[in-house]
Amino acid sequence: MIPSSPFLCVITDEALCPVTVAELVLKGGAAMIQLRHKSASGSQLFSWAVEIRKLCQKYRALFIINDRVDIAMASEADGVHLGQQDIPANVARKLLGKERIIGVSASSLKEALQAEKDGANYIGFGHIYPTVSKKKEFPPLGTEALQNAANSISLPIIAIGGVTLENAATLISCGATGVAVISAVSRTDDPSWAASELVAALKWNNS
Amino acid sequence: MDHNKLKETPLPHLYLISSGQENPDGGTLLLEQLNLLPRTLSCMVQIREKQLNAKQLLTLALKARACALPYGSMLLVNERIDIALAARLDGVHLPENGCYPDNLRPLAPKMIFGCSVHSPESLHLAEKSGADYLLFGPVFDTPSKRKYGAPQGLEKLGQICRISTLPVFALGGITPENGEFCMAEGAYGIAGLSIFKDTSRFVDTLEQFYRIVSP
Repeated sequence: MIPSSPFLCVITDEALCPVTVAELVLKGGAAMIQLRHKSASGSQLFSWAVEIRKLCQKYRALFIINDRVDIAMASEADGVHLGQQDIPANVARKLLGKERIIGVSASSLKEALQAEKDGANYIGFGHIYPTVSKKKEFPPLGTEALQNAANSISLPIIAIGGVTLENAATLISCGATGVAVISAVSRTDDPSWAASELVAALKWNNS
Repeated sequence: MDHNKLKETPLPHLYLISSGQENPDGGTLLLEQLNLLPRTLSCMVQIREKQLNAKQLLTLALKARACALPYGSMLLVNERIDIALAARLDGVHLPENGCYPDNLRPLAPKMIFGCSVHSPESLHLAEKSGADYLLFGPVFDTPSKRKYGAPQGLEKLGQICRISTLPVFALGGITPENGEFCMAEGAYGIAGLSIFKDTSRFVDTLEQFYRIVSP
């Protein structure tokens, strides 16, 4: 199940041990962890996934894996997060069954609508603001595009890209169910604290 | 071992690995190779295209699956059991740093799982986790593996074959001229990549290999 709004999703940082990051941010209140590591070997991903799944069960958080449907199946993760270059959501659905969560990255309303049609459970929408975590081929979408997407599709939307303490609540008020971050928590001295601050910030003007 | 293998048909003795140079836009060498396979010559075929993203790999796997392969042939993909399941392939080949067969077997009890091994230690791990076959190499010098250092040689191939309870395919720089030496060391079959890239000689090369590996 997608966590109740507003929630924080943390995507693991390639430069750090994903298990360590996961544990720290779960302590800080993250409700969802996405294991994302493009260069790790299959056996490495599998063993991380098994560890993070245990942690997420302990903290009652959702655990999903980026791109690797195979690892998600083998490690019994809660689901997968698929980019536009990954296995299409409708194919992943056949492999994973009805119960698992499938998220799809969308950077336009068109992609979001397609993901909804393909049976996705949520949309990762962005990048909303400029971001340093990933090199981008297009300018930030802005909050207007987020609002527009939220009005047009019925799936939960996780806003991503340049999320900070200052703008987190704005994203929620624009219709995002949650926000996803990489560097905003993992590249800090205290990822637990950074996560808990963000979780608090999501609720600032959201009463 | 009592895991559920595709035991009705024994594994073919020839093993073709895709070039690693497939273009995402189609018109692929792999499909050309598959369509050239002589009707009577069963073959293991591994799709190994690390430069493709999962979406492109799935498209290629589906196209390969749609080719009519010789009876007894098996179509596998490197590492990704999700692709294998989605394209209804026959198996998955696992690199030495991939998941182990017993991590994946519950997801597809009837699939063939192969493992790359480079040492007696990794052979034991692969056997213990229920692999169906092993790929060992590089036996001889080959351009695609030169960056990893010197080839393993015939002696090490023989050592692996003697201690293995599983079929071992020899890989790396194998030609119709030196292939017999691999079989003499106890290899179950011969695998190749670079040597199969020249489609004008593809059928000739396969037939020469076939004469060597036929029991």
